[in-house]
Amino acid sequence: MSVRSLFGIRLLLPPATILRWPKEVSPLIFIFPALVVYTGFFIYPLVKLLELSLYKWDGILARKFIGLRHYQKLLGDERFWEALSHNFYWMIAAIIVPVLFGLLLAILLSRSSMYGSIIFRTIFFMPQVFSSVTVALIWQWIYNPSYGAINVFLASIGLEHLTQGWLGDSGLVLPALFIAWSWVHYGFTMIIFIAAIDAVDEVFFDAAKVDGANWWQQFRHILLPSIRGALTTIILVTAISSFQIFDLVYVLTRGGPGDASMVVPVYMLESAFTLRKVGYGATVAIAMGVVIVGFSVLFLALRGVYKDED
Amino acid sequence: MAYTAIAGFLSLIVIFPLVWVIATSLKDRRQIIQNPLGLPQVYQWSNYADAWQEGNFGVYFINSILVVIPTALGVVVLSLLAAYAFAMFRFRGKNVLFTFFLVGLTIPLGILIIPIFYQMVSLKLVNNLWALILPQTAVGLPFAILLLRGFIHELPKEVLDAGRIDGCSNWGILRFIVMPLSRPALLSVMIFNIVWVWNQFLLPVVLIQKASARTLPQGLSVFMGRYGADFGLLMAGATISFIPVVIVYVIFQRQFIKGIAAGALSGI
Repeated sequence: MSVRSLFGIRLLLPPATILRWPKEVSPLIFIFPALVVYTGFFIYPLVKLLELSLYKWDGILARKFIGLRHYQKLLGDERFWEALSHNFYWMIAAIIVPVLFGLLLAILLSRSSMYGSIIFRTIFFMPQVFSSVTVALIWQWIYNPSYGAINVFLASIGLEHLTQGWLGDSGLVLPALFIAWSWVHYGFTMIIFIAAIDAVDEVFFDAAKVDGANWWQQFRHILLPSIRGALTTIILVTAISSFQIFDLVYVLTRGGPGDASMVVPVYMLESAFTLRKVGYGATVAIAMGVVIVGFSVLFLALRGVYKDED
Repeated sequence: MAYTAIAGFLSLIVIFPLVWVIATSLKDRRQIIQNPLGLPQVYQWSNYADAWQEGNFGVYFINSILVVIPTALGVVVLSLLAAYAFAMFRFRGKNVLFTFFLVGLTIPLGILIIPIFYQMVSLKLVNNLWALILPQTAVGLPFAILLLRGFIHELPKEVLDAGRIDGCSNWGILRFIVMPLSRPALLSVMIFNIVWVWNQFLLPVVLIQKASARTLPQGLSVFMGRYGADFGLLMAGATISFIPVVIVYVIFQRQFIKGIAAGALSGI
């Protein structure tokens, strides 16, 4: 039954039945509300974004069509490439540090017989539920040059010469921000790994032990093959989120000092709203989108979204 | 036992910063300077009253709640309806429509912030909480639909057929069979959206400029900018912002972990 005939019935029926939900409705009726909201507030802005990138506009006065000139400008924009290189640096660090740490914790905690396993899971996962501004605030205090935990600790064990202005040093700011981010992110990798490891039958490990396999052989030949799917998922999700780093950087450094911690999302906002180059900001957003969509499509393909489609 | 000891040691990575933040929040300026790492000697509880007053946290909490509830409910209701149709029926254009929704899985909300801002300007919704609710509902839908469609697809066909034989309409099957059976999946979707929306920062930074409409993360960042040097006050603010979340998280930790892990896989 199509939408039109449904409305036909609604119009022809006596008033008493109009209030009742129609007995048989087209499946499209169920999809319609989601479709309206999704189209209006997701697809429409997406189309607008493509349009904006073709105009020179300060956000207030009349805009001027300039075709693909912003894209040309982007290719030669050193600030943009530096920001993008920081995102790539972030991505590579992110698929090593939190992934290894999450895996280590998962191996420790997936032995469900372990005392307090659930409590530890709860603790390790906790930073995930904090807002990134809370995390920023905590780490700003940890990195504080005069009274922060790191410098005070270094000084107290006689390593004054190692104390730093962590977030103010152009060589250290990016790793410092990355560590604050990792403090949150490893909890996610840990949980995915735990789910994967718990799914492995204990019998395999017992058999391996009986056969005299050492821990490395157990890891290499039993654990690793069975968590390969989880590993793919985690690496791609981490890669995708590495290109969206915004909150921490924006709150703690705004990309500074200089452009030492500038990342693409912060550069996008700065271009569009601080420098009032709306069209150029949109172009930066599109460049960022191209990278993310690339990873996302790969991700969806590997997860087999269509596999249960009939 | 050795494992427990290692895990216990590693958990200090999480616990130490939090304990230290709380300890700092109870010190006055003099104690922070003289004894930055230790526990407070004199408890300066007034930091909390001051932070709550100066930071306007009451207003921010209410705004955050007013954004989170309609968004999470909107995502759950709209995605359940759509997922039901995608999972249960054959109709023309089904694959095209489904793929159309999947586009949303590949593009994060942050990229769209510039056009969303000008859309909200033309709708006169800047500084209005609906400017946060509508886009976040829209961007939450694709993953929720994907997850719920998979879940409904797996429901036992016999139960659904029994409902149909007993004379249930499509609506009745959704209401009395699919919805109750999908509770775990709906809960996951709900919790993921609540956490994600509660912590959303980019959207309010751009769309909310009026102090009275700020959400909690945004209010906290403003507070942080204003009292940059007063760490006792700042850490009291930080503690106010994470303690309620920690309490709710500890109570519902199982559902949280499941919901966030499932949601984080969407990559948004």
